[in-house]
Amino acid sequence: MDASERDYESKKEIVLVIGGGVAGIGAALDLAGAGQTVHLVEESDHLGGQVSKLDKLYPTDHCAFCPLWTDIKRCMEHPLITVHTLSCVKELNKETAGSYSALLLHAPRYIDEKKCTFCGRCEQECAESAIHPGWEHLCPPSFVIDETLCTKCGNCARICPSGAIDLERAVEEIRLSVGDVIWATGFKEADISHLGEYGSGSHPDIMTSMEFEEWISEAGSNRGAVITRSNGTPPAHIAFIQCAGARDLRMIPSCSAVCCMHALKQAFWVKRRNRKIDCYIFYTDLRTVGRDYYRYSLREFEGADIKLVRGRPGLIHPLPDGNGIAVQFENTMTREREIRRFDMVVLNGNIQPSLIQHRPAHPAGTAAPRTDEEGFVVEESGNTSDCACGFGLQPADVPESVIQASAAAMRITGKRSNPG
Amino acid sequence: METIAVFLCKCFGEIDTAVDFDFLTGELSNDPSVAVISTIDSLCLESGMAKIVSLIKETGSDRVLIAACSPLAKGGFVADSIAEAGIERHKIGLVDIREGCAWIHGDDPGGASRKARDLIHMGIASLQNGEMSDDMTVTVHPGALILGAGPAGLAAAVSLAETGFEVALLERSKDPGGMLRLISRCYPGDENASEKLDPYIKEIEKNPLITFYPQAKIMSMEGDTGDFTATFSSQGKDISIRSGVIIVATGAKIFFPAGLYGYGELKNVITQMELERQILNGSLETKNTVFIQCVGARDTKRPYCSTICCPISLKNASRIAGDVPGGSVFVLHRGIMTPGNTLEKYYRDTLSGGVQFIRFEEDNPPQIGGGDHVEYVEVFDAINGIKRTIEADLVVLSTPLVPNTDNVNLAKMLGVDVDSYGFFSEIYPMHPLETKTDGIFICGSARWPVSSDDAILQGKGAAIKAVSYLRQSEIAASTLSRVPGSKSGHARVVAESCTGCGNCVAACPFNACGLERMNSGFVSTVNMMRCKGCGNCVSVCPNGSIQIPEHNYRMVGEMIHMAFQGWEL
Repeated sequence: MDASERDYESKKEIVLVIGGGVAGIGAALDLAGAGQTVHLVEESDHLGGQVSKLDKLYPTDHCAFCPLWTDIKRCMEHPLITVHTLSCVKELNKETAGSYSALLLHAPRYIDEKKCTFCGRCEQECAESAIHPGWEHLCPPSFVIDETLCTKCGNCARICPSGAIDLERAVEEIRLSVGDVIWATGFKEADISHLGEYGSGSHPDIMTSMEFEEWISEAGSNRGAVITRSNGTPPAHIAFIQCAGARDLRMIPSCSAVCCMHALKQAFWVKRRNRKIDCYIFYTDLRTVGRDYYRYSLREFEGADIKLVRGRPGLIHPLPDGNGIAVQFENTMTREREIRRFDMVVLNGNIQPSLIQHRPAHPAGTAAPRTDEEGFVVEESGNTSDCACGFGLQPADVPESVIQASAAAMRITGKRSNPG
Repeated sequence: METIAVFLCKCFGEIDTAVDFDFLTGELSNDPSVAVISTIDSLCLESGMAKIVSLIKETGSDRVLIAACSPLAKGGFVADSIAEAGIERHKIGLVDIREGCAWIHGDDPGGASRKARDLIHMGIASLQNGEMSDDMTVTVHPGALILGAGPAGLAAAVSLAETGFEVALLERSKDPGGMLRLISRCYPGDENASEKLDPYIKEIEKNPLITFYPQAKIMSMEGDTGDFTATFSSQGKDISIRSGVIIVATGAKIFFPAGLYGYGELKNVITQMELERQILNGSLETKNTVFIQCVGARDTKRPYCSTICCPISLKNASRIAGDVPGGSVFVLHRGIMTPGNTLEKYYRDTLSGGVQFIRFEEDNPPQIGGGDHVEYVEVFDAINGIKRTIEADLVVLSTPLVPNTDNVNLAKMLGVDVDSYGFFSEIYPMHPLETKTDGIFICGSARWPVSSDDAILQGKGAAIKAVSYLRQSEIAASTLSRVPGSKSGHARVVAESCTGCGNCVAACPFNACGLERMNSGFVSTVNMMRCKGCGNCVSVCPNGSIQIPEHNYRMVGEMIHMAFQGWEL
């Protein structure tokens, strides 16, 4: 039998992959590789999810962009994968077992990426600063209009030489008949300002780790320079606070799994860019379980002179003169209590599945799978047409997310080859 | 003579405001190889594209040079579109005169124009001298070879059979199941290990697509992506099997802590696996139990965390705490490694289930006390800063998984890598189940220590990767690239001048170069199924006998020549 005539080839039902981060991309590519037709839905204007916001990846210290970009490109070009960016799943109704009807909403993309030549005249023309370049690594690059700022004055459309801008575009509805669904909805950062001791929001230099990643990113606004947000000078001391909101029964009982290595990586890159900056990591257990992770952590405190303090600060508060942030902590290994002044504080760990409180990832979307009290998708045993992978299923870093994605793709492909 | 059509894009004034197009056309019109020069307002719009295609057809040019924006902006898209109109992709050249000339040198129009001219001349030189690599195809043998019948291998085998492919499942021991056969229950779901294995084992027994080869020992491995041949012995017979893909699921082994914490000298100091055996056969007798974590792990010799030992201790500690009334259970640890939601909850539940945890530091490990058997354990409690003496009837050492000793040999046979610890290397981070050789996948603890649940997950993941190869009837070497359309070619050897020195063999990271004996001595050969076109071999060849046709010496030389034409050096 010719391989292309195998049984599953005839089953052309769509697999709907919700979420275009690394897990969704992995699932889509594996499914398409096995001959399945995939529709990949992503709420932002590009694929890549949270990883697309990362500057570097642990433990290789390589850029996140290259490996991600190649797989994004494979997704975009694969004949069996239809990518819906700026989209959400409005409805997902189970008709029978293994058959859903889905309603997708496409938010209008006012600037046609196929026509945009990236000349930048619209950005200069816009009085509201509503137009900005899209994800810096996107190929081909394109501009995006921020709908919340746009007044629809039409100046940009008039000046655009290639006629790429059409402000009259409206929300588009797409109905799909779907055989199986993979939830790859990923994580979002949780607001921990109600946990008063972390001082979240009380000082411009108290940042979340994703904000800090963008702040020191080589492709970000500071082009890799490590400076404070309050006065733009290099900080002398940075504190990384682990488990901020996580492993905390008030907020996120789980361990977010990725933050220890993430903080080590950020501290290391701070040191690499400016050796004079003093880095403290306040941790609970330094969880370094993956390949080369433990060795990565050894390098941190041996070579890079990063101070590791076991303990969760009891209070983080801006100093009255505005110049710096006080961190009060107990080093639980030496039982010494201390108050120390830092210039920047990075809060790490406050990441939650996007589906927390059964709220779908996108405000306009309403479809949601069954989740547990922490918002992680619960895969029902026996129901093989509803799978999940990535951080939305359980805290996972890139390799783990991709493995889960492959396994979910296998479950669906296997079931489709053997109906009944 | 082959002629070149040159297209200059103005990009709506983005380029021609800084770059002088009259100057460019004037310079280019003297070049005899240029058949047509055309200036277009915007190449990337449909109208521009249509104009290019019709002009190419009119003039009969067989090579096209596009001078427009960066290939990462619209250039690549334009080239792809022209290729769709029937020009071979390698006969289309791209020159960036927007980002690289007009935009960055906007303050120096003369300089921008001269740079654009030089870049275009270089592009012409590249088009004139570029060649195309040879290609080869392999007919895919629609079956898989799976090494190891632990949970990962079993899951991979059953998944592949489910999709209709034949599987040869090799196992070094007599029975399938791997390490899972030796343990009582699995974390975190607390399933019975044998119940977890049963459906898989039943499936490999009854599914006609799966052939199980017990007591297998691999002798040799040949072939490439799509068509490997493995020769092995199984139960005394020599067998040879062809397969399209190989899945390595050979697992790992438990570190044996000889000499550590009195193991081997003191009775009642046992390993986690011995504890599992005692639980399985009902011979466990203990009142006060102490678990010691990181025995032989996270030290200078094995600088890694073995991932599974903390949850295993949680599992067995909470079980003993529940089963043995009146006794105490301590876990002495260096940080409990339970990342994620499920494992963290497992840890919380164990904490509230009566198990006591004491953290010690690496440089101050616990001490075992007693005569011929263990009586107590002394430990410096790092959190409370006090020394504690714990009564112990049983000390369980949590030792890490270590790679199989034959991993290095197997990796060599397969042409894949092992990492510095001896586990199989992956393509980090987006392809964790793939190796540098296409069609060879890794899963389970052969890759990195994992729980049985994760091993099964990885087995399934490796299976879907395998399906994407197996369902193709043939695979072309030129398509074996993770970046679409990016494989720049395969190295080509000029046999006449090759001296057989072997530099390329040593430099090739993908085991693609080899030496073949000819009448006149050794000659280098390139296996195109493995060659990724990286060019490492080219750089170490002493006399230019190995080259990548798409970037050959003459072409690069000509391009450099054009770049510095007219310069006084």
